[in-house]
Amino acid sequence: MGMKCEVENCDNEATVHLTEIREGKKHETHLCERCAAEKGLPGKAHFTISDLLAGIASQAQAQAQKTRKGGKEPVCPVCSTTLSQFQSSGRFGCPDCYTAFKDDVLGLVEKIHDASQHVGKVPRRVSTDVSLQKDIRQLQLDLKRAVKREDYEKAAALRDQIRQLDERLAAGEEQAPSAAPEDKDAGAAGHGKKKAEGGEKKGGAQPVTEP
Amino acid sequence: MTFEEMIGSSGEWLRGTGPEAEIVISSRVRLARNIRGFRFITKMDTAERAACEELVQRQILDAKVAQPLLYVPLHKADPMDRKVLVERHLISKEHEDAQHQRGVAIGANEAVAVMVNEEDHIRLQVLQSGFQLQEAWRICTRIDDALEQRLDYAFSPQLGYLTACPTNVGTGLRVSVMLHLPALVLTRHIEKVFQAVAKINLAVRGLYGEGTEASGHFYQISNQVSLGRSEEEIVKNVEHVIPTIVRYEHNARQTLLAKDRKRLEDRVWRAYGMLKYAQLLPSDEAMMLLSALRMGVHLGLLKDVSLRTVNELFILIQPAHLQKLTGRALEPMERDVKRAEFVRSKLNPQP
Repeated sequence: MGMKCEVENCDNEATVHLTEIREGKKHETHLCERCAAEKGLPGKAHFTISDLLAGIASQAQAQAQKTRKGGKEPVCPVCSTTLSQFQSSGRFGCPDCYTAFKDDVLGLVEKIHDASQHVGKVPRRVSTDVSLQKDIRQLQLDLKRAVKREDYEKAAALRDQIRQLDERLAAGEEQAPSAAPEDKDAGAAGHGKKKAEGGEKKGGAQPVTEP
Repeated sequence: MTFEEMIGSSGEWLRGTGPEAEIVISSRVRLARNIRGFRFITKMDTAERAACEELVQRQILDAKVAQPLLYVPLHKADPMDRKVLVERHLISKEHEDAQHQRGVAIGANEAVAVMVNEEDHIRLQVLQSGFQLQEAWRICTRIDDALEQRLDYAFSPQLGYLTACPTNVGTGLRVSVMLHLPALVLTRHIEKVFQAVAKINLAVRGLYGEGTEASGHFYQISNQVSLGRSEEEIVKNVEHVIPTIVRYEHNARQTLLAKDRKRLEDRVWRAYGMLKYAQLLPSDEAMMLLSALRMGVHLGLLKDVSLRTVNELFILIQPAHLQKLTGRALEPMERDVKRAEFVRSKLNPQP
């Protein structure tokens, strides 16, 4: 059992603990929520997420301001929301604000969620793009390694593969959002695989001139 | 389904029959989604809001997210009807108060509600009675999939579903469970629950969400973090703590029975007596009395009232419901008279 509230005739458990240093001496006060409120001391949990957010947003902004050159305030090109408008309201004007205020948003999001990378559902339209990007990053790593160990045959094959995936990614962006995403995905995947295999053979015969 | 038909019945989540229903009133899951190409609500002009509302409304109806489905255009709705929807947990207070073109789609038995043009373009909610988070999530994600095939959601590979407020970004998921914890309040252990819950990054709120006090000893526990964890993980995180709190509440009830049985019985029976015969019932008092009655029903101290009746009373005695029932606006004093009248009619056998 915890400590009792020190107010006379109060039997509640003390949940607000205050330590003050007065004239170099430590004074401790232990109160229950109600008595603390009567004495004008702040209790817990009496402010909302939105209240907190405004505070965190301005903190994150101050940090980004330090690193930003020119000192010009960012404005979202799509909805013309300014960074300070976002700061005071805690609300974005449109989805593009996330890109427009990227430097400030990432810090803020990390403070709120303790994370900066989405894990979880992905719309089907996007999921192909995301997995393509992932594949490309992996192939680029493989390419670097192949070049390092001077396996130019392998490197050429990888280079062609990357080029093809890049083309698919660009094509996908032009098409999206289109009807029947299911059919499109299936078609593109089948097509891409064949092409990649073809590329490997061709690449095998071609020497790589530049790593 | 008409609005009147919906008001005439009560929501699935009030049945009082799901797992752990004596303590867990309901399980709720909601997803925030926005449509690519539209600005967020605060930055939209009238025409854009209308276009967005019409597009989303059409797709919700076409996707048949629930059958039957009632769509209420809230900007045209009677203000009292909007209040009734808030009291039923089908729309938020903000959605009630807004002025612009907006709506809500409500599924049969109120298990599904989709707010259109709230803070986000889409707020999809699934509400189940008792402790059924997995089931609620299963229904919710299926409807989300159906809508996603028809609507182009605003999404970033890094930050996930983009929302008007960065506290919802990522999965856009809020998972919450409504608990009835009278014994933990009576035994003064409720603060400990709050502290433990806060430590694992979950939030506690009252019956009507953020900023409402826990009237009737109802508490909602929900996740705060929506980014960096999968939907399943978020659901599990909330799900994980509930059995412990439920066990604490059970223990507290048993402790009260063992140590202070007469006092507990007195509290329950007094509440029952007041509710059965009072002529004036202010809202706060009614909520507290119903809370005691509800605990008494669960402990078997009193057998002639069902959990469902008590659950429904918590909602039906709210101001807008009473006024809807009477068919006109009521002064606070008149409301207390009507409330007492209504509760008496529900708890006394009809002649």
